[in-house]
Amino acid sequence: MSDADKTTRAAPKAVNRPGAAQPPDDDAAPPGELGRTTIGEGVVTKVAGLAAREVQGVHDLGTGTARAVGSVTQKVGLGDAFNQGVSVESGVKEAAVDLTLVIDYGESIPRVATAVRNQVIKRVEFITGLTVIEVNITVNDLYFPGDDEADEAGGADEAARVA
Amino acid sequence: MTTDSDLVASGRVRLARLAGQAIAGTDGVTPTTGPAGRWLTVGGQQRIAGVLAVEDVHGRVDLELHLVVRWPPQMPLEQLGELVRGRLRDAAGAAGMAARLGAVAVAFDDVLTEIERA
Repeated sequence: MSDADKTTRAAPKAVNRPGAAQPPDDDAAPPGELGRTTIGEGVVTKVAGLAAREVQGVHDLGTGTARAVGSVTQKVGLGDAFNQGVSVESGVKEAAVDLTLVIDYGESIPRVATAVRNQVIKRVEFITGLTVIEVNITVNDLYFPGDDEADEAGGADEAARVA
Repeated sequence: MTTDSDLVASGRVRLARLAGQAIAGTDGVTPTTGPAGRWLTVGGQQRIAGVLAVEDVHGRVDLELHLVVRWPPQMPLEQLGELVRGRLRDAAGAAGMAARLGAVAVAFDDVLTEIERA
C-alpha cells in the first residue's frame, strides 16, 4: 500500500484519508500536501441506517421508546430519523455497526437480518472505503399492519379519559 | 468564517470563489456552512458557502471544503473528494493561480436524502 493510500486518524469523530496518489516526478509534494478527505462519523452512521432501510421487510429502526421520542424531536427540527437505531464504531480503516430493527410481521427474520447485513456492508464499504468487520442486529419488534392506527386510537382514548 | 475587507478580491477570495464553482460543478454535492453557519468565506459582498480559505505568510492559500452529499452517492466519497479537488486545481491553473493554491481538505459532513432535500 503506497503512502498516498494510507489513512490517518485525526479528530476522533472523523475518518481522514490523504489526498490522491503522489505526482510521478521527483519534486512531488509529500503525501497529504494535496489535501485530506474527511468523512464524518455521522455520515457513516447515516449511510448504515439508510442502507438498512433499503431492505424489504425492514419497517423501522430503533426501539419503541427511541422511535416515540424521535417522532417528537423530528417534528421540532431536532434529531435525525435516519440515525435512529444505528450505532457505529469506526476507526481509520474499519467499522463495526449495531442496528436495532423493527421487521414487518410475516417476513423471515433470518432472511431480513442477512439481507440487512449484506446491504450495510456493501453500502458502507463502497461509499466510505471502510472495512465493515461486523454488523450486529437486534430485532426489537414486529410491525403488524394497523399498528399505527391502533396506537393513534389508543392515544385519543387516553386523551378523552384525561379530559 | 474567513473574511477579507479589501475592495479588490484578494488571491484568497479568488481561490475561494473557484472552490465554490468547483463544488457547484460537481454533481451530487452541495456546500454546507455547518451547524453554526461558520464554514464560509466572505469577500466583499459575496459569501462563498462551505469554503474556508487561509493564506500563509508566503501567499499560499489552504482551503477547507465542507460538503454534503446526496443519497445515494454514485461513487466513493474519497473519489468524489478527489473530483472536486481536481476541478479546483484545474480552475486555479486556468486562472494562473496554481502556484498559490495549497492543500485542499475536503470534509463530508452529512448525507441528504430526497425527503430531507424537499
